[in-house]
Amino acid sequence: MFRKLSNRFIKQLLTFSGAVTGIAILFISFFLFKEGAGLFKTSTIEKGYVLIVHSANPVGKLSSHQIKEIFDTEITNWKAVGGKNQEIRIFRIDDIFNEYSKTEIGENYEHLSEKLAEVIQKNEGIIAFLPHQYAPINSPSVKELPAGNISVSDYFLGKEYLPTATPAPLFGVLPLLFGTLLVSIMAIALALPLGLGVAIYISELADERIRKFLKPVIELLAGIPSVVYGFFGLVVLAPIVQKTFHLSVGETAFTGSIILAIMALPTIISVAEDAMRNTPRAMREASLALGATQWQTIYKVVIPYAKSGISAAVVLGMGRAIGETMAVLMVTGNAAVIPTSIFNSVRTIPATIAAELGEAPAGEAHYQALFLLGCILFLITMVISVAAEMISKKKNFKPV
Amino acid sequence: MKKHILILLTGISLLSCNSKSEETNSTGIEPKTKVETVQIKGSETVLPLTQKAVEEFANVDSQLKLIVTGGGSGVGIAALLNNTTDIAQTSRAIKFGEKQKIEEGGNTVKEIIVAYDALAIIVHPENKVSNLTREQLEDIFTGKITNWKEVGGEDLKIVPYARETSSGTYEFFKESVLLNKNYLSGIMSMPANGAIIQSIKQTKGAIAYVGLAYLNKDVKAVHVSYDGGKTFIEPSFANAKNKTYPVVRPLFYYYLGNSESKVKPFIDFLLSPTGQEIVDEVGYVDLR
Amino acid sequence: MNKKIKQQIAFWIFRLFSVLIVGILLSILGFIIFNGIQVINWEFLTTAPREGMTAGGIFPAIVGTFYLVIGSLIFAVPLGVMSAIYTIEYAGNGKVVRFIRMMTNNLASIPSIVFGLFGMALFVNKLGFGDSILAGSLTLGLLTLPIIIRTSEEALKAVPESYRSGSYALGASKLMTIRKVVLPSAMPNILTGIILSVGRVSGETAPILFTVAAYFLPNLPDSIFSQAMALPYHLYVLATSGTDIEASRPMAYGTALVLIVIVLFFNLSATILRQRMNKKLRHN
Repeated sequence: MFRKLSNRFIKQLLTFSGAVTGIAILFISFFLFKEGAGLFKTSTIEKGYVLIVHSANPVGKLSSHQIKEIFDTEITNWKAVGGKNQEIRIFRIDDIFNEYSKTEIGENYEHLSEKLAEVIQKNEGIIAFLPHQYAPINSPSVKELPAGNISVSDYFLGKEYLPTATPAPLFGVLPLLFGTLLVSIMAIALALPLGLGVAIYISELADERIRKFLKPVIELLAGIPSVVYGFFGLVVLAPIVQKTFHLSVGETAFTGSIILAIMALPTIISVAEDAMRNTPRAMREASLALGATQWQTIYKVVIPYAKSGISAAVVLGMGRAIGETMAVLMVTGNAAVIPTSIFNSVRTIPATIAAELGEAPAGEAHYQALFLLGCILFLITMVISVAAEMISKKKNFKPV
Repeated sequence: MKKHILILLTGISLLSCNSKSEETNSTGIEPKTKVETVQIKGSETVLPLTQKAVEEFANVDSQLKLIVTGGGSGVGIAALLNNTTDIAQTSRAIKFGEKQKIEEGGNTVKEIIVAYDALAIIVHPENKVSNLTREQLEDIFTGKITNWKEVGGEDLKIVPYARETSSGTYEFFKESVLLNKNYLSGIMSMPANGAIIQSIKQTKGAIAYVGLAYLNKDVKAVHVSYDGGKTFIEPSFANAKNKTYPVVRPLFYYYLGNSESKVKPFIDFLLSPTGQEIVDEVGYVDLR
Repeated sequence: MNKKIKQQIAFWIFRLFSVLIVGILLSILGFIIFNGIQVINWEFLTTAPREGMTAGGIFPAIVGTFYLVIGSLIFAVPLGVMSAIYTIEYAGNGKVVRFIRMMTNNLASIPSIVFGLFGMALFVNKLGFGDSILAGSLTLGLLTLPIIIRTSEEALKAVPESYRSGSYALGASKLMTIRKVVLPSAMPNILTGIILSVGRVSGETAPILFTVAAYFLPNLPDSIFSQAMALPYHLYVLATSGTDIEASRPMAYGTALVLIVIVLFFNLSATILRQRMNKKLRHN
């Protein structure tokens, strides 16, 4: 009786374990998207704060970008944002302590609100950035600027990434996305010829002894931790790149690509080599019997036959490069601009998450924006992994 | 072969038993019963000071366990908010809004200044420029000046480096030097001070800022003027102490009112003459 | 003739590439070993960092990494092996197996930083473990699950069908057969996967950044709810922060060497084990 029960229990346990990876994926996507999606329900202006102008000011709404330019004093006149010809005066909550003494404001800020109202009344060109709790919204000379939510297009099409700008942070993803893609694509471009050459060598030319030696070499390359690659890149490679190309900076997208290329090589080599080895012997021999040289056989028969496997290798290598964090964080300089050359510094998505997540207060816009970056990364790698599976299933050999 | 595997397996299982028993020991509700643990989290700038103080403190009092983590001033304050640290070490004052959030939770936040730090503006040792005004610095870091020849140097592109956004140094520099304006978008940002020094050493056109404690022979500190170029002051220990060097800031510890008794022994140690000696050793300015 | 020359050129290029790969590996290893070996001594391996990380050793980081490895194995090995047993021995029809395999592949392709995000959201914040060995181990365990599942599946597949039939013929039930016959003979190969994942876990940085890693701890962790130092994070810290980058450089080299030795030792043993097993199977 007991035996039966325990058997049944074990079976259930096994079934559950079978589903465990699926469950994990579900959980991961659920948590990432739950945290990330909250961003679009968050106000453009920092949580708990309001932007306030004088009620005589005709300006009704400002975009995040306009707010940034005003607070950076790049826009100094209300005319530029559709208001009167009037000097803009920026006012932050901490400025109140320069206008009034501690006693006037009160020990527990009990008079803070009315003092703020006074300041606003006196300055028609004011724009004040105040905590919601003390904002004198009901006072007659005060007008609150309505804050919209962060929009999907702001996020996905934004060209500026300033996550800690106050009053309105900017979370444009484009510089990060382009940075990530540039570094990864360049890494694959560097790694592919090299990886294919080595794969051909191992599968077609090398004798048993050399193969036995090269295999562990490749596994060792795959085994070196990413942080060690980063360290090597920072100390050795960045100065070399800087000197070789006479650059002003050594921490560039190119430096990152070299490191990523080395990291993606093992994946590319082993997948491509597997695919080549699976070429039926009969086909090779037929080609050789028809008088083709070994090299002709390789590029006329073996490579076409292994095409899908090689494509899968490229895709998987790309996936590896896109998701790489530590190595890239340490060598690419992390500048959040859309790169115009391979010698620019770039900031990749994974490096951004690693550098900023610790600081972002849980549940606020910045934190959500980073989770959304995680979602983007998750989706990209999912697509890649499914694509690799589809490609390697296809046997698209056509006799030439 | 079989034998080897057996030995390996027993080894692994023994180890796992070990850690298993550990798991059953701790109740999981309140794992810190015997020894009090104090978490200190936050600023990279204060890190060397805290770390050394913790080392020394361990010789004085082994009853209190201290855990030190970096991450940046923002991280420290955020952790204080989320109740995941006991002390937040910061290189900027707590913001009004941050304070608000803590007080909304019905708690008070206590502030202690533990030392002062001067922020040095550093360039490559071969750079000819050795004096800069605040206005020039502002233009450099907001991207209005892009070539060294505009500030009296050679014809060379300026490469400004900043710290990551979580750092108090980033915020303090933004407030004090840039007067709250944003850095140029796409500034190179480095996760920590050591990485900044490393990059400045390698990059001829570079300019960055680090705490006084981080200065070494690989970089050159420029003299700074806050009075429109009348007097240029060298960032040095003495000048920071007599308050002539303008870019000086206090370094803080913040803790919640209800954990005062827990953190007091360590903070008292740091404020004692012995503790303040450590401040000097690490390269900051003591409170005396 | 022309064909022959082309072939020669192509083949020499491939040889050159292979030499280049070996060269890359040797230069990275050489750089770490040459600089690190001067720092490594007994004190370095058995004491805590001192003088603001410019002296002393890395003992707490070694211990922390050890705990994380053990913790992640406790979580991942039983689950991974059982998952493999289910797919190989139970999930008869192709669709289920294909789906499970696809999920495993997907999990394997997720970048480690995303695991870090997830670990922080679920284990640290939602379940309230805080930054702790527990949270870090669970995150790392998830990360190595695909490795363990894959290698265990291979191991189970390699067990000859005749073993199973023999066991059934003697009247054993399916579970009995798996427990007494299949698992013991697959064990060595399953071990390979476990060893491989040890190598992987001990070198990962991104997943532990927000789940467990501490910058400095004067004492060793005493429960699964304490934070811990870890080798890869320690190397990151030494390479990028510290007041005196010159003085902490040697410490960084030493840490990198210890880390690489640990990781590569496990990876190589897995490779050697696998080769031996394959030989054995062929002999049978």
